[in-house]
Order: sequence, then structure tokens, then C-alpha cells
Amino acid sequence: MAEILTGAQLMCRVLLEEGVDVMFGYPGGAIMPFYHALPEFPGLRHILVRHEQAAAHAADGYARASGRAGVCVATSGPGATNLVTGLACAYMDNSPVVAITGQVSRPMMGRDAFQETDIIGVTLPITKWSVLVEDISTLADTMRRAFAVALEGRPGPVLVDVPKDVQNQRIEYTPRAAAPVRRATPVADAAALDAAAGLIARAERPLILAGHGIILGNASEDLRIFAEHTGIPVITTLLGISAFPEDHPLHLGMPGMHGEVHVNRAIQHADLLIAVGMRFDDRVTGNTAGFARNAKIVHIELDPTEIGKNVPVEVPLVGDAGPILSALTRALAPRSCTSWWEEIDASRRPQYEQFKGDIAPEAILRALHDASGGRCSIVADVGQHQMWVAKLFPYRRLNTHFSSGGLGAMGFAVPAAIGVHLARPDEPVWAISGDGGFQMNMQEMATMVQEGLPIKLAIFNNGYLGMVRQWQQFFHGRRYSATPIWSPDYVKLAEAYGIAGYRVEQGVQIAGAVEAALRDPGPALIEFVIEQEANVYPMIPPGASLSEVIETAPAPEPASA
Amino acid sequence: MSHLHCITVVLDDKLVTLNAAVGLLRRRNLPVRSVTFGPHVAEGRSRLFAMIEADEGAAQRVALLFEKLIGVDEARVVPAADTVARELALIRIRAQAESYGELLDVLGLYHANVLEEGPDGLVVELTGPDTFVLSCLRAVERFGIVDVARSGAVAIERPAESPRAPTSTEASVP
Repeated sequence: MAEILTGAQLMCRVLLEEGVDVMFGYPGGAIMPFYHALPEFPGLRHILVRHEQAAAHAADGYARASGRAGVCVATSGPGATNLVTGLACAYMDNSPVVAITGQVSRPMMGRDAFQETDIIGVTLPITKWSVLVEDISTLADTMRRAFAVALEGRPGPVLVDVPKDVQNQRIEYTPRAAAPVRRATPVADAAALDAAAGLIARAERPLILAGHGIILGNASEDLRIFAEHTGIPVITTLLGISAFPEDHPLHLGMPGMHGEVHVNRAIQHADLLIAVGMRFDDRVTGNTAGFARNAKIVHIELDPTEIGKNVPVEVPLVGDAGPILSALTRALAPRSCTSWWEEIDASRRPQYEQFKGDIAPEAILRALHDASGGRCSIVADVGQHQMWVAKLFPYRRLNTHFSSGGLGAMGFAVPAAIGVHLARPDEPVWAISGDGGFQMNMQEMATMVQEGLPIKLAIFNNGYLGMVRQWQQFFHGRRYSATPIWSPDYVKLAEAYGIAGYRVEQGVQIAGAVEAALRDPGPALIEFVIEQEANVYPMIPPGASLSEVIETAPAPEPASA
Repeated sequence: MSHLHCITVVLDDKLVTLNAAVGLLRRRNLPVRSVTFGPHVAEGRSRLFAMIEADEGAAQRVALLFEKLIGVDEARVVPAADTVARELALIRIRAQAESYGELLDVLGLYHANVLEEGPDGLVVELTGPDTFVLSCLRAVERFGIVDVARSGAVAIERPAESPRAPTSTEASVP
């Protein structure tokens, strides 16, 4: 049944047809027709952020937590350019985000009109597709395709740029159900599966490297069955954390730059790596020339362009992780890796990170875990605390850890937690930031208050841009250039925003503050005043191989250094 | 082992798709020897040729990356040695009465056609592998080149079992 709609009304209708119920945005001149139509569609909840970067991160967080596309909206020019960091982050971490931007009217385009930016040109390298809607006749299909492109294959962001006059055009509109997402390659070919199964059956020191693809591909159960069938240790990459339960006896830990020594040592001694849904980021491999030199690699990956990109692969298995893992399980006789496990366990080290004072990151993360019995989602920002959050919280539930992995975008946690909360309104969501990253997007506390979003904010305040300071300490002769960072009084700041605020300066205060924050029905903030010069150990220096580990701070160099 | 590959991409004729395709080549940090772009035989389609220096795997990955772009129909990789590549050059040369005959002799050696003739010069067209075009340009330089328009190479795969020698050795002056 056809009806006449404006372009703006049509956009809202397609959003509803695609199953969207919440979006994150900020109005402005070139997107005003869309915002004019929006109140006619009460099924579309709009979260007014305080900066468009937050809209993109929130859409990203929503997508990661829900498995559905997250939507952000901005006007032309500065609105659109402010989305860029969030889109780049979603692109690197394969998060399905649909960004809708207003553009100046078509007769004004190309004339450097007020708030005109070539956002298509700007975003081409950081989206799967950036498209300008040149006429209303293509608007509905372009919007529908945007969702399909964002979700299919390795997911990622798509930007749809809609000129203001197209939003005001009228057209006859026929509703249509959402198009099914085209699934990528089916199960890898039989010969490759046989070859992989043969390598796995013969391997003496095999490892599984599980990445974000396990979560994106709903393959965690297939992974668990495969691992239990074969007894192979499971390493989870930063974005693979919470793809495999950390209390499982087969879980080994995180690899790479800040991976535990016994994990990296296992990689260096392995004779077979079974990589699933991960892309051999340099933070995982260190110097690839020295990476896992004794190991053959079986790479299970949806996207063929990832095969062999960073490390040579013996057997590529291109397709969905879940079906491939189950096919491998069926093809293999049950086995165990007892002596390999003994070798790995023998290389385990005691805790070597010695924190001064009693507000150790372990104590904070243990308190966060205990207060909700682990039933919460954790969104990390970027820096030292990100590594503590990755390593010190026992993630047992699927997809409960969120982090800006590939882009490493400071300022991610606070807005992304807004998106995670809207996808999971019934459980606590913690945004954990350092004092640097928190100050990048702390304006979003206002969004939480206005929209009634009870997100819990934790700040690890050490008065430094800690990870940069750590690099300066290790590799730049302790020259702390531009890393000391002043903070406002966060408790007063919380008060100014009308939310509960707590400062924790002693270990005995940790549990009480965490419980009080969780009891509060609204957003709440806790500032943890941690040791100023705490470091993240162990550490592989940038450019070094996984065998060259730093486990203690280097001795201070002479003053002349 | 790194060697020259020809990547042929069939894409739609929108400038944004060309922009994305060229951006992809630039971003992947591979040595790109040349890029040419022109219409394809199919209506509304274009064809892009990129000569890149890469090992087989990297070249195939670039082709797969092209195929992920919205607006790209297909991308194929052929080792440069298995292609026939030609470019067109239009050359405007200053005519001088005393050397005119000698110039025509040189152009004849290169099978260059005179397209336009006027009191202050002539325009010739020349087709061949890039080395052949460069060789001709060197040969006519002394007559006074006013301007040169080069198309860049277009390439097509040789028929299977072709007895012809690789393009690079064809370049010698006849």
C-alpha cells in the first residue's frame, strides 16, 4: 500500500523496518528535516549526546553488545567530521554502525557552502561504504543496503549522506521487510579442512588463538566444544576476551604486548596455531619475523583478505568460524595435550606486578566483580587501565568485555557504555577510564542524566597519561613530556551533574564505594586514586619479538641521557 | 618473490568508486608503478589497470580488497609477463623546414602516424609498450617537443600458450 512520504519520513520508516529502536545523535541545520519527522515515530528512541564522537562510539557500543547495527545521526560539516574517530574505531574493530549525516542541499554542494564538508571523501578509508544519496528515488534502497553492508561479512561502519533537499522531497513509498543479510562464504573446502584436521591431529604443542570473530560469529559454543574435544589451550586476544570462559581449565590468557609471559612463551614454543576470527595485529604478534617460528598456522577467517596479510598461513579456512570449528571437531578423534599443558604450567610465573599502596588494580576489579557476582558488562577506555581491565577481571559470561582494540581510541569507554547499557538495560555497565580518557568524553555524563541512563563510571586516576608515561620511563629516559595531567575534583564534578560521586583513596573504601554506586538508581562515578607511576607488566617493547619481555622497570639512566 | 603484476578492475563509472579504488591502492603501502582508468565495454562500467610490485599473495589480496568495495564488479591479477600492455601517446612536435624529412624518417621507424600538420608543427600518434613510447620520445626530442599526452598502459591477458615473448622484451626499437 503506497503512501506519499518526505525523504525524512522515509528514512525513519526504513529505520523501523530494519529493526532500529534507538539511535544516538545531534541535530543541526542540514539534518533538520529528519529531526522534524522524528517525533512522528515514537518507536525510534533518540539519545541526544553532547558531542557527535560520542554518538558514533555509543552506536558502536550498542552494536557490540546487541549484535545488531548501531545507528548514529549528525548534521553536515562539523557534525559529520566529529563522527570520524568513532567510525574509524568501529571500522578497525568490525562493529556494524550505520551513520546518517545531513548534507547541504544539492544546489549548494560543491560551493563550499556553510557547514559543507565532503564527508564521503573523508570517510572512504574508514567505512565499508560511504554513499551520497543523490535522489530520493534511491533513498530507501540505499538505506536498506547500508544495513546489509554494515552487517555482512566482517561487519563495519557505513555512512549515508543525505542532502537536506532530498530529505524534503516527496515520494510514493511502499513498505518492505528488512532484506536478509547476505551470509559470506559457507564452510571452507573439504580438502583444506582435511589438511587442517591432519595438522591438528599430529600437533604436539597446538594453541588456539581466539579473536573477536568468535563473538561476532556466535561461535563461542563451537569453540568450547572444539577445545574440550582436543584439549588445546585457548588464548583470547584483547577483543576475543569473553569469547571463552576464563574460569575454564583450557583458558590460557591474553597474548601479545602485555600478554602474560607463559602465554607468549607458549606461542613461541607452539608447533601449531589455530587462529580463529583474529587478524594477527602487531600488538598480538610483536615483530612478525620472530613470531611463533616453530609453528604452522591454520587460519579460520571469514574475510579472505586477512589470510596471509601479516603472517604466512599454512592452511587457510575461509568461512564462518562456528561451522568450521564443528566440522573440525567431527573430523578429529578426541585427544588431549597433557604434556604440553605440563610444559606451559611449568613456565607460569607468580604475580610480579608490585603495586604500592593498597588501591591495586586487582583490588578494584575484584570488587567490581564481587559486587555483581560477575553479572555486569565492562567497557574499557585505552591505556594502562585497559590492560588491567583485560587481564584482572575474570570474564565468564559471553561478550561482556568491550574495548577499543584496533584504533585504541581514548574517550571510547564513557560513550560506548551508553550504547552497551541501551542494549543491556537490565544489568550494570561499568565504563572504566583513566583520568586522561575520561576527560576526553566526560561531557556525556549530561547525556546519562538527561536520558536516565544509570551507567557506572570508574576512573583510575594516577595523574598521568599513564601508558605514554610508562613508555617514556622505559624508552625515553624518564622524560615525562606532556604526560602529567591535571584533573578536576571528580566528586564535585559528579555533584555538578547531579549524580553520585565517590573518591576512593584507601583500599578499605573500595568495596563500599562500588556497592554504593551500584545501589544508586542513576549514573554514579567513582574516582580511584591509584599509584602514580604504576606500570603494566609484562611488556614486549614495540618492534620486538614475543621472546623479548620486560618484567621490571629499567634502572634510571644518568641525567645526561 | 616480488614482481610486477597487472590488476584489472571492473567498476561502475561513478567518481566516488574510482576515488575509493585509488584510495585502496594508496593505503595498502605497495609500490604502484602505474594506474590507468578508462571506459569498459559494458555500459556504465569503467576499467582500472594498476601495475603493482608485489608477491603473488599480496597481489591477490589487493584484488580481493578491490572486490570488497561497493561498486566494484570484479578484480583480476595477472603477472605482467602474461599480459599484452600498450599505451597511446600524442606528441606535438615543432616543425622546422630543414629537418622535416629527417623527422618523418624517425617517426616512420616507430610507425607513428601524423594526425595534424600546420605551419608551426605537427601532432603524431604512437602506440606501444611504455618503453617503446619513451624510446620514441627520446628519438624526436632534438626536433623540439611542444607537448606530450600519454594515456598510460592498458593491458589484456595473453591467450593461453601464447608463443609471444613477454611485453618487456618487445620494447626494442625495430
